[in-house]
Amino acid sequence: MSAGLAALAGGSGAASRRALGWWILDVVGALLFAGGLALTIGCWGGLVPVTGGLLSMAVSGLVRAVAQARAADAGMQGAVAMKAALRAERLPALFGSAFARGRLAGEDAARAVDQIEATEGFAARFEPLSRAARVAPMLVAGAVAVASPVAAGILLVTLVPFAVGMVLAGGAARVAADRQLGAISRLNGVFADRLRALAEIRSFGAEPRVARQLASASDEVATRTLALFRVAFVSGGILEFLAALSVALVALYCGFNLLGLLPFAPPEKLGLTAAFFALALAPEFYLPMRRLAAAYHDRQTGEAAALALAEDLPPLPVLAAPAVFAGVALRGAAVDYERGVRVGPFDLAVPATGLVAIMGATGSGKSTVLAALAGLRPLAAGRMDWTAGGAAAVAWAGQRPLVMAGTLASNIALGRDNSGRDNSGRDNSGCENLAEDDPVVARAAEAAGLTALLAGRGGLAAHIDAAGSGLSGGERRRLGVARVLASGRLLLLLDEPTADLDAATAAALRATIIDLARTHAVVVATHDAALAAAADVRLVMP
Amino acid sequence: MSGGVGAVADDMAAVMMGALRSSAVRRARLVAVAAALAGVALLGVAGWFLTGAALAGLAGAVAAFNFLLPSATIRLSAVVRTGGRYFERLWSHEAALGALAKVRVGLFSTLAQRDPRRVRALMLGDGVARLTGDVDVLEDAIIRSPARPAALAGGVLAVALALPAGLAPALVLAAGLLALPRVAGWVAATFVDAPAEAAQGRAAALKAMVVDQLAASAEIAVFGLAGRVSEAVMAEAAALDAARMRMVRGEGWLSAVLVAGGPMLAAAVAMVAALTGAGAAVTALAALAAAGGVEAQGAFVRARGRDAAMAAAAARLNGLSGADTIDWAMPDGDALEIAGVRLAAGGRLGLTGLSGSGKTRIIETLAGWRADAPQKLLLGGVAVGDVRFEYLAQRFAIAPQAPALIAGTVADNLRLAAAGLDEADLWAALEVACLADDVRAMPDGLATWLGEGAGELSGGQRKRLALARALLAVTGGGRPWLLLDEPSEGLDAATEAEMVRRLGRWLDHTGTGTGAGTGLVVATHRPAVLALVEDVRDI
Repeated sequence: MSAGLAALAGGSGAASRRALGWWILDVVGALLFAGGLALTIGCWGGLVPVTGGLLSMAVSGLVRAVAQARAADAGMQGAVAMKAALRAERLPALFGSAFARGRLAGEDAARAVDQIEATEGFAARFEPLSRAARVAPMLVAGAVAVASPVAAGILLVTLVPFAVGMVLAGGAARVAADRQLGAISRLNGVFADRLRALAEIRSFGAEPRVARQLASASDEVATRTLALFRVAFVSGGILEFLAALSVALVALYCGFNLLGLLPFAPPEKLGLTAAFFALALAPEFYLPMRRLAAAYHDRQTGEAAALALAEDLPPLPVLAAPAVFAGVALRGAAVDYERGVRVGPFDLAVPATGLVAIMGATGSGKSTVLAALAGLRPLAAGRMDWTAGGAAAVAWAGQRPLVMAGTLASNIALGRDNSGRDNSGRDNSGCENLAEDDPVVARAAEAAGLTALLAGRGGLAAHIDAAGSGLSGGERRRLGVARVLASGRLLLLLDEPTADLDAATAAALRATIIDLARTHAVVVATHDAALAAAADVRLVMP
Repeated sequence: MSGGVGAVADDMAAVMMGALRSSAVRRARLVAVAAALAGVALLGVAGWFLTGAALAGLAGAVAAFNFLLPSATIRLSAVVRTGGRYFERLWSHEAALGALAKVRVGLFSTLAQRDPRRVRALMLGDGVARLTGDVDVLEDAIIRSPARPAALAGGVLAVALALPAGLAPALVLAAGLLALPRVAGWVAATFVDAPAEAAQGRAAALKAMVVDQLAASAEIAVFGLAGRVSEAVMAEAAALDAARMRMVRGEGWLSAVLVAGGPMLAAAVAMVAALTGAGAAVTALAALAAAGGVEAQGAFVRARGRDAAMAAAAARLNGLSGADTIDWAMPDGDALEIAGVRLAAGGRLGLTGLSGSGKTRIIETLAGWRADAPQKLLLGGVAVGDVRFEYLAQRFAIAPQAPALIAGTVADNLRLAAAGLDEADLWAALEVACLADDVRAMPDGLATWLGEGAGELSGGQRKRLALARALLAVTGGGRPWLLLDEPSEGLDAATEAEMVRRLGRWLDHTGTGTGAGTGLVVATHRPAVLALVEDVRDI
């Protein structure tokens, strides 16, 4: 997947190429500094060359400051483009399949937010720097060669032990990492894990024992991490050593060349200006690679995140809303979950109109029945027979209905005109403007008992924000019911419609639901005995 | 109590200070200083050597030129800089890891001394992630702590190397080096801190929005809204990206101070040297020393961009150790009164009612985990909210609705209940909870490793493991009351019946010598479980 991430980061190639361009300008800045300093020192006493040299040095600082800031900027633009592309690619599938996959919301939220953020450093820093590290040292060597080919040769020759050292150290570091990383991350997790269990730990008076465990786990983390670092930092050490060594070698070569004391006959006779130019540029040769090494962590984080993001998400069935609904029957139906947990078998006949109540303890599988009816969970056993036509699109209202920034009307209309579109369909632009004038929306709002809310808020055009601020739990629930009604779908699934509401609100909503069931097929998963008592069909999950 | 908490707060500060005074940090500082000195010397001496050599070569005075000292210095500097950097990294990490171990234990102990009813909000949602994030920020600060002395030493050496060129260039360099961190601090405060904070806020808002919408995942799937929801999320994410972009630009300005500062200061030093008539060799030394001196400030100056985050993390961690002083009431005996139902020691009550009616709230308020049950709850004639947590913990053994199991073995989880439990105790509790057969079937039995949150176990198995743990807290810790919240959730009817039978027998045969057995308060939806109780209260 690292190749995939690189492709994605490179996919925003324009930004990455711009960043490379700025890094090349940074090399130009380095040349200005080295040239200016060499001119100043080499022609010491000459007014014009010294003034020009000093000016060139001062300007080089500005050039490099701008170049580096713009390079970071361009890299970040590339990262923003990459994150946007990742979101556009992953989020619709993630949201669309979230219910069917049945994962913990925290896990999916981490994928949608944290893991996409974790790829930022790869595109913003590592990728442009790795491009720069391939080009910039050669430019520096080329510039040094103009002044002193031998000094340039010295710089290039140090690349041989550098490459060999990096391969050896990298291999050793990988072996050490393989041995230690699992244990380290497990021990590191102990701290957060024990904090999460703090209430239990305290109730059992186990805090002294757990504190001792934590201390020994943390000590072991320290020992193992240091063992790993001792090896891992060697590659950084090699890089530092050759960076320092190359400067020292160039300085010594140039100095002895100037003195004429080299033990061999040099092919060139250096002047002070040329020698100084070579010396002042020498530290620039390894600088791009040192920058890249500092960004290596970004690569690791990005690759780990890309791996987590790469999981295949199941495609969703696309169902059309039927013109008629004449009933559906589940026979011997069962649904499988992970770790061999099976819900069912159960039998249920949903009539064309009427109220069906699914009851049972928390975790007994009430929502699973709704999911099976909605086609969100495949049947592992048994069958589902539609009285007329094929599988039909249903309408659903959950315990905490979806609220999006917009008007009340646009929120009620969310269930309209989306059928037949897949989950990435975007062509809804026209809906919002029409929703306030849509008589279906107005009727649905009234039937769901939203009249009082509308009066208090200023009608269907009233604005609500993404957090649904100002909506009470009951109002939000009614919004979900209104959406279900406005959808025009004929099989309505309501998950715990009256739970967590005060008695009066629950009673009013109950009446609304019972009323709806005269004209629609309404299936509720509920603990509400009063609602269940009014049902035409009851299924109690064991 | 308040004295104890204050001492813990001092401990946290002491741990941080101790880490900064540890031998590893001192070693790291020393080698960082050596590396910075070597870095400045390498460039400065090389420049001086070149120029001196050229002048000597021109003057034909090669024999008189002492090249041994400068060339040895250059080679030594190269080695010292490399070794210094390596050991600085290693030792600063050693210090940080050592401090991390202490900070973690200190933080845990601090939180473990607070009343859970007061710090509940801290642990909900992203709370734990924020705490661990704050600890990581502190670790980072320790790793960076050698940067300051290194910057100081590099600066001082650079000024010293500028002195041969004259007092004026040295003073210019000193003034420039002193100004650098101040300018950087101003740039950080002006261009980095606010966008960094905004980015953090945006990230939290985005996460909250995503979590909120994932709660409606069924509607999203059924109505085909994934595209529209994603677009709304992407709009919020674009705001986050914009804030991060501003932050990166600010960091670019911060880094520009350094990048522009080096060459400009070198040019200024050389110019003053030229104006005061200094020689070429000493000017080369001064100019390159100036560039090296600025480079030595790098890590220290860049760290200014993290000062605000570091201060915020430290403030949050210090804020954890508040005092919970309250005039605690002392219960008289172990009799309970729950929403009007009186229970003598050893009594058994079932709580029923719709989901959302507050059964869990009652159970957890009795345990001292929260304080928001509206019903009147008395222990020994005193409202449980007025009883200190440690006392409640000794009276109630709880198996909550959503038990937190720890990453560790099955036995580790059970041994949390009490000290000094042997294997026979563990198996006995597992038998009562109808989990013994499951554990025997696991690859390593009691030693089977359970990951974070015991994700390998089914919901029903987790509940029964928590039940077994609560039973051990009664037998091993002498608690008179057992609190159970939906103990049979996720069990089939036959297993449930067997568990109820075994639990009933266990309740009769345990207890604290009153002869009445162990008391029980159980919240449940399931009629079978109510066979255990003498009285039922519908909430």
